[in-house]
Amino acid sequence: MTAPLLDVQGLGISVQGARANLVDDMSFTLHAGQTLCIVGESGCGKSLTALALMGLLASPPLAVTGGRALFAGQDLLAMPRAELRDIRGDRMAMIFQEPMSSLNPAMKIGEQIAESVRRHKHVGYEPARARALEMLERVRIPAAAQRLDEYPYQLSGGMRQRVMIAMALANDPALLIADEPTTALDVTIQAQILDLMRTLQAETGAAMIMITHDLGVVAEMADQVAVMYAGRIVESGPTEAIFDDPQHPYTIGLMSSMPSLGAHRERLVTIPGVVPQANDMPSGCRFAGRCPFRTSACDTPPPLEDFGGGHRVACVNAPLEASRQETGT
Amino acid sequence: MTEPKPILRTHGLRREFVTAKPLFGAAQVVRAVDGVDLEIAEGETFAIVGESGCGKSTLARLLVRLIAPTGGEVWYGGTNIADLDEGAMRALRRELQFIFQDPFSSLNPRMSVGALIEEPLGAHGIGTSQERKARVAELLTRVGLRPDHADRYPHEFSGGQRQRIGIARALASGPKVVIGDEPVSALDVSIQAQVVNILEDLKEEFGLTLVIIAHDLAVIRHMADRVAVMYLGEIVETGTADALFARPRHPYTEALLAAIPIARTGARRASAHIEGDLPNPIAPPSGCRFHTRCRYATEICRTDHPRLTGSGAGQVACHHSDTLALTGLADADTDRPAAAKARFALYRDAQARKAKETTEP
Ligand SMILES: Nc1ncnc2c1ncn2[C@@H]1O[C@H](COP(=O)(O)OP(=O)(O)OP(=O)(O)O)[C@@H](O)[C@H]1O
Ligand SMILES: Nc1ncnc2c1ncn2[C@@H]1O[C@H](COP(=O)(O)OP(=O)(O)OP(=O)(O)O)[C@@H](O)[C@H]1O
Ligand code: SF4
Ligand code: SF4
Ligand SMILES: [Mg+2]
Ligand SMILES: [Mg+2]
Repeated sequence: MTAPLLDVQGLGISVQGARANLVDDMSFTLHAGQTLCIVGESGCGKSLTALALMGLLASPPLAVTGGRALFAGQDLLAMPRAELRDIRGDRMAMIFQEPMSSLNPAMKIGEQIAESVRRHKHVGYEPARARALEMLERVRIPAAAQRLDEYPYQLSGGMRQRVMIAMALANDPALLIADEPTTALDVTIQAQILDLMRTLQAETGAAMIMITHDLGVVAEMADQVAVMYAGRIVESGPTEAIFDDPQHPYTIGLMSSMPSLGAHRERLVTIPGVVPQANDMPSGCRFAGRCPFRTSACDTPPPLEDFGGGHRVACVNAPLEASRQETGT
Repeated sequence: MTEPKPILRTHGLRREFVTAKPLFGAAQVVRAVDGVDLEIAEGETFAIVGESGCGKSTLARLLVRLIAPTGGEVWYGGTNIADLDEGAMRALRRELQFIFQDPFSSLNPRMSVGALIEEPLGAHGIGTSQERKARVAELLTRVGLRPDHADRYPHEFSGGQRQRIGIARALASGPKVVIGDEPVSALDVSIQAQVVNILEDLKEEFGLTLVIIAHDLAVIRHMADRVAVMYLGEIVETGTADALFARPRHPYTEALLAAIPIARTGARRASAHIEGDLPNPIAPPSGCRFHTRCRYATEICRTDHPRLTGSGAGQVACHHSDTLALTGLADADTDRPAAAKARFALYRDAQARKAKETTEP
């Protein structure tokens, strides 16, 4: 098997004044052309993970406390800032959670895309503008030539997100990180953008990390999935394994608390309680306070163990069927 | 079958907004709600769905006269509340309550939780001060909070807890109808499930009529008895949730259903999604407002405006609905693999066991 494009091992992120890491011992690999979805509820550390890889953590108060992230063999976490700046927006690009915050409101969208092309590809004004037009056409913006000279506020939310994608892909990155690219969009527009991202990824062969809290989006987009809870990966593996054979109590709880689209309307399963904060983080399994399968063995941090085929689970009591028999209930 | 008694009924309901006047020319008018006829039956959960800007919030506010209509009628029982003056409306507010989307901005940060929930009781002169305190404690317990939370302030609570406070406040005056404008949209899935369950329990317990506005179709599928689909200020289809999700009759409903990402691998073949953005609501398309995005559109759709026709069981506004065979969500699309369902059952059982242990030690 070829070496992965991105190999993250033991990534930790902390904030000043908090005892527990906000992101802890995060490990995953990603191959060219593949999509990894990172899924989890608000505050579990999805965006921080992406920002750390891009070298964009607000430090202080945030800091990387350990680990490495090999991108085509180079460690992103140990790279000098200037070198990282060259890679960012070029071989590695990001689409942010709020498109308005990453588009310059005072600059025409064509110029914004062209500027990034000029900076990284060292080409002149005309070729950069031609590339900007080509990219707007590729993300299917109608009347692209006119849109080049429009400002972000003149575009709908869906169009803005298309511009973000055009900008991110303008320099043919090997890795695209998309942080909730469709969360703010209506469902019909979301479907269009997801289609577009799939098509462009197939055309360019880029690897993608897609961050979302929507398990529906995960099922439609991912080759690999990492489920995060309170800063840690609790379960990861091929998409089929996660959806057809969920093993971690949090994954199972999350999936069964989603309302079904089918006709049967049984009462929703809930996960009682709330996510622990960095200052009252359990020392063992971070899900212990809300887990119905908790035993005394859960007081030490459970390692991610391989259940076969790259399906990894961090739960001392998985598989749950077996653990029930052992406790003799 | 006898039709259930409507508790809320609208006729030709309209609300326009005048947008900011440009430097040259006339100010423009958005017809946010444009001729809506609705009947909501007593005791049902009625859902209004549609994309951003289609007029859901405006319609919801009109139903309880939080805003006044430009035209048309809203009948609550035998009263047309569109015509009521403020004083008469204030008395009716006790029976018609509203839950807002944003638990963060809809609660006055300087009032304690107890004062917030008690306020509607005081406003309607319900009970003595002592009785009101007892009612607040009871309501807090009912929405899964503790009586001593009454002394705390909204900022001390999480999003899900704040939404429960909003629900307790809406229920305080003993309403007959509760309207929730995206009451769970801002919440994470696991917290959303808690709040959905609470809403359903309370509806049952107090015999409420619930009107739920949402853009999340799974939440609607789960909660609603009947559904109305809105597009650019108009209702384009109504029906029972079962019928509308399984056999949509309006092309826009079909498109909405096709766009839902389904949490199951291989659930969808590369689906044919509708093209294009929502048109500008200031200048909606002629004829059928959906024709610019509809793949079944013909000449008549560009010129003639289709009217909503049908009975209470189901209505549709489409020239071609009788001849179209549209695709909905089959159970096979949404069903989960057996192994996953077995795990869900295991989780359910474990949780039930744990709940039992903690209540009867
Ligand atoms: N600049 C910061 N200073 C302190 N804490 C922070 C900072 N940024 C994030 N955090 C905390 O780190 C945790 C993880 O944040 P992150 O933004 O990665 O969450 P997320 O998974 O992306 O959530 P969401 O789905 O809401 O976007 C949260 O508890 C958050 O409060
Ligand atoms: N106070 C107002 N002034 C001017 N226009 C308004 C006002 N309130 C709503 N509108 C316009 O009326 C239309 C319907 O808005 P409304 O808020 O009812 O939509 P919605 O379906 O609730 O959307 P969302 O899903 O985004 O909440 C929109 O075009 C909106 O811009
Ligand atoms: S390790 Fe224990 S507490 Fe954590 S998920 Fe597994 S059973 Fe639950
Ligand atoms: S009336 Fe015509 S354009 Fe409108 S939904 Fe029906 S087929 Fe489509
Ligand atoms: Mg985030
Ligand atoms: Mg709204």
